[in-house]
Amino acid sequence: MLGSFSVGKSSLVRRFVESIFDEKYHTTIGVKVDKKVVQASGEEVTLVLWDIHGEDIYQKMRMNYLRGMSGYLLVIDGTRRQTLIDALSLNERVVKEIGPVPAVLVLNKSDLIDQWEIDDAQQAKLAKDGWKIVKTSARSGEAVEDVFLQLAKAILAT
Amino acid sequence: MAEQATRRAPTGPTQETPTDKQRDYEELRRLIVGPEKEGIAAIEDRLENVERRTEDVSTVVAEAIQLRREKGDDHALAEALAPTIQATLRESVRRDPHVLADALFPVMGPAIRKSITETLRSMLESFNEALEHSLSLQGMQWRIEAMRTGKSFAEIAIMHSLLFRVEQVFLIHKETGLVLNHLVAPSVATQDPDMIAGMLTAIQQFVRDSFSSKSTESLGSLNVGELEVWLEESPDAVLAAVIRGHAPQDYRLAMNEALENIQRHYGPALSQFKGDAGPFRSAEEKLAPLLETHYKQGNGESKKTPKAAIVVGALLGALVLGWIVYSTYLILQWRKFLHALDHQPGIVLVSHSNSGGKFQIQGFRDPYSADPSKLLSDANLDPKDADLQLAPYYSLDDAIVGRRSAEILHPPAGVKLASKNGQLVAEGAAPPQWIAEFEAHAPWIAGVTSIDDSRLDNSDLAVLKPLKTTIESVVVLFPVGSAQIETGQDDKLAQIGKDFQDLLTQAARLHESVTVEVTGHTDSTGIEGTNLPLSQDRADAVRSHFLRHGIKPANMRTVGVGTSQPLHSEDTEEGRQYNRSVTFRIAFTPLPVTASPGARSSALSGN
Repeated sequence: MLGSFSVGKSSLVRRFVESIFDEKYHTTIGVKVDKKVVQASGEEVTLVLWDIHGEDIYQKMRMNYLRGMSGYLLVIDGTRRQTLIDALSLNERVVKEIGPVPAVLVLNKSDLIDQWEIDDAQQAKLAKDGWKIVKTSARSGEAVEDVFLQLAKAILAT
Repeated sequence: MAEQATRRAPTGPTQETPTDKQRDYEELRRLIVGPEKEGIAAIEDRLENVERRTEDVSTVVAEAIQLRREKGDDHALAEALAPTIQATLRESVRRDPHVLADALFPVMGPAIRKSITETLRSMLESFNEALEHSLSLQGMQWRIEAMRTGKSFAEIAIMHSLLFRVEQVFLIHKETGLVLNHLVAPSVATQDPDMIAGMLTAIQQFVRDSFSSKSTESLGSLNVGELEVWLEESPDAVLAAVIRGHAPQDYRLAMNEALENIQRHYGPALSQFKGDAGPFRSAEEKLAPLLETHYKQGNGESKKTPKAAIVVGALLGALVLGWIVYSTYLILQWRKFLHALDHQPGIVLVSHSNSGGKFQIQGFRDPYSADPSKLLSDANLDPKDADLQLAPYYSLDDAIVGRRSAEILHPPAGVKLASKNGQLVAEGAAPPQWIAEFEAHAPWIAGVTSIDDSRLDNSDLAVLKPLKTTIESVVVLFPVGSAQIETGQDDKLAQIGKDFQDLLTQAARLHESVTVEVTGHTDSTGIEGTNLPLSQDRADAVRSHFLRHGIKPANMRTVGVGTSQPLHSEDTEEGRQYNRSVTFRIAFTPLPVTASPGARSSALSGN
């Protein structure tokens, strides 16, 4: 799970994912490993989620944590346009480092849709660029399961 | 060439110009050396053209090196190649250390392990020596265990100081951090292995990124309290063991071996891993020993107990058992001895204790009681082991009083002395002097409150016994219903008279008076009421006979008993004849001048 600081990655994890580790791991070693089991294409798929600490000016993301990654969720806060810009720049570095792997663009905070700074045109452009886009709300739970399902399907398809 | 020159001569050499000559010469040269020249040019071209030269060398370089080696002169070759190879390796490592590291992995593992084992072994040996002289209780226990299990002492010592249990083993795909296989020891609570493995991989990555400059270096272990996580890496996999306690270095070797084994066996599957752990399920058999070996080590090894150890163990066991049996026997013997001692007349036990294997006994002992040393020997105990502190005293025990009296009075052979509740009883025959002494001294002996000599006889009277017996065996017969002595018995009567006189004489010398009781008997025939007077008459008749022969009447009493004391059964006439008779009883009485024997009491001082 990739994305800027406070886009809601941890909230997504907290409510919908099996977790045994404390969130302190983020700020200490920069990653927290969780697990999500989904039924995709008639199979039970276990997703081991590396919830990687959001980048900020104090902490750069450790690119080494990305090694061996099968796919990723790029999480964006719909109410902050900057998080999209940061995410896309991050994505470039990821692709450069790891090569292309399945990814899903998560537009979080759909419960605050009236405050969104990312409009439909932008979303359409992203879709055109090849992004699988899922709008979610960690607060309401909207489409969260779908996010993991989409990713699992994409990974299985490779 | 000379031949060709000769052949050309007729064409007229004189008309030819120098240029012609020159041309001819060239032609000649061309004809003669043309083919060789082409060959030389080709060779020159090969020598000068780098590309071609390279091509030529490349076809023979391998064979050339091989040939050189076969000639046995490979030292020069090695010397020539060494700098290049070194440079090559250096360059290869500089470009990508993984290539060489991965290539060397299967070789390096065993080599390093061997070296470590060797180092560890020599370390163990020196440790062994260091401990050799330690004679602590624990040291002794370990030594016994080493003997029993056939391991070296150092191994046992280390085993005891390094008790551990492997609780979980993870086989993790290095690239993805996904679990390939996971084993848990029985009754160990675990968290989700997928997440744990992921986090472990993240932590490894974190540590490598944060603290290590080389990407080939990796985290070897994590410690939390008494839990340790040991990590081993191969090119494609990570093996993590969760250990409670302190595992020996051997265990890391076991991990390494298992991991190498897995890397070798699953190499392609590992590098093509896409998330399906199925193919790695069979790795369990390689991982299982990592969980179990160290539980079973003790049991497994004990089967190798050498015979010598069993024999030594059995001997030790027998010795210990023997010692226990002997100690118990000794204690029982001592108890028996103390019991016997306490019940011994003349000995009183006050206290006893056992300190340092020596028995101390305090009490009192009469000098006439049994000898304690002899009692000790009788109980199979060493008198040296006993410290007897017995103060002397006078015992009033009957047995001791009897013994003391005997020691003081020295009774003659025929006399038995016994004390009963303080009364000293003398029984048997003794000379009158001793009897007098007994009466005088016995009351003064400690523990004697009274004496009884009523059953004590004068032994001097024994000399009178034959005559007494002779006289008492005589039967004087009478006819039926008559008090007239049957004829034909004169000799018998004369002999009796003589014996009687002798008896009187001897008794007088011993200051004894003699009483003769003459008893008359009748048979049961005859009229009732006449037998008794008849028997009296018969006795009187005999007395008269003796009186006539000068025997003093004062020494003789007569009595008629009738049929009341028959001498014989009256079934026959002979029997009845015996009952028509007179018999004699002799008794001695001391003359009044001597002390009269009889029961006497005397007061004693109470010591």
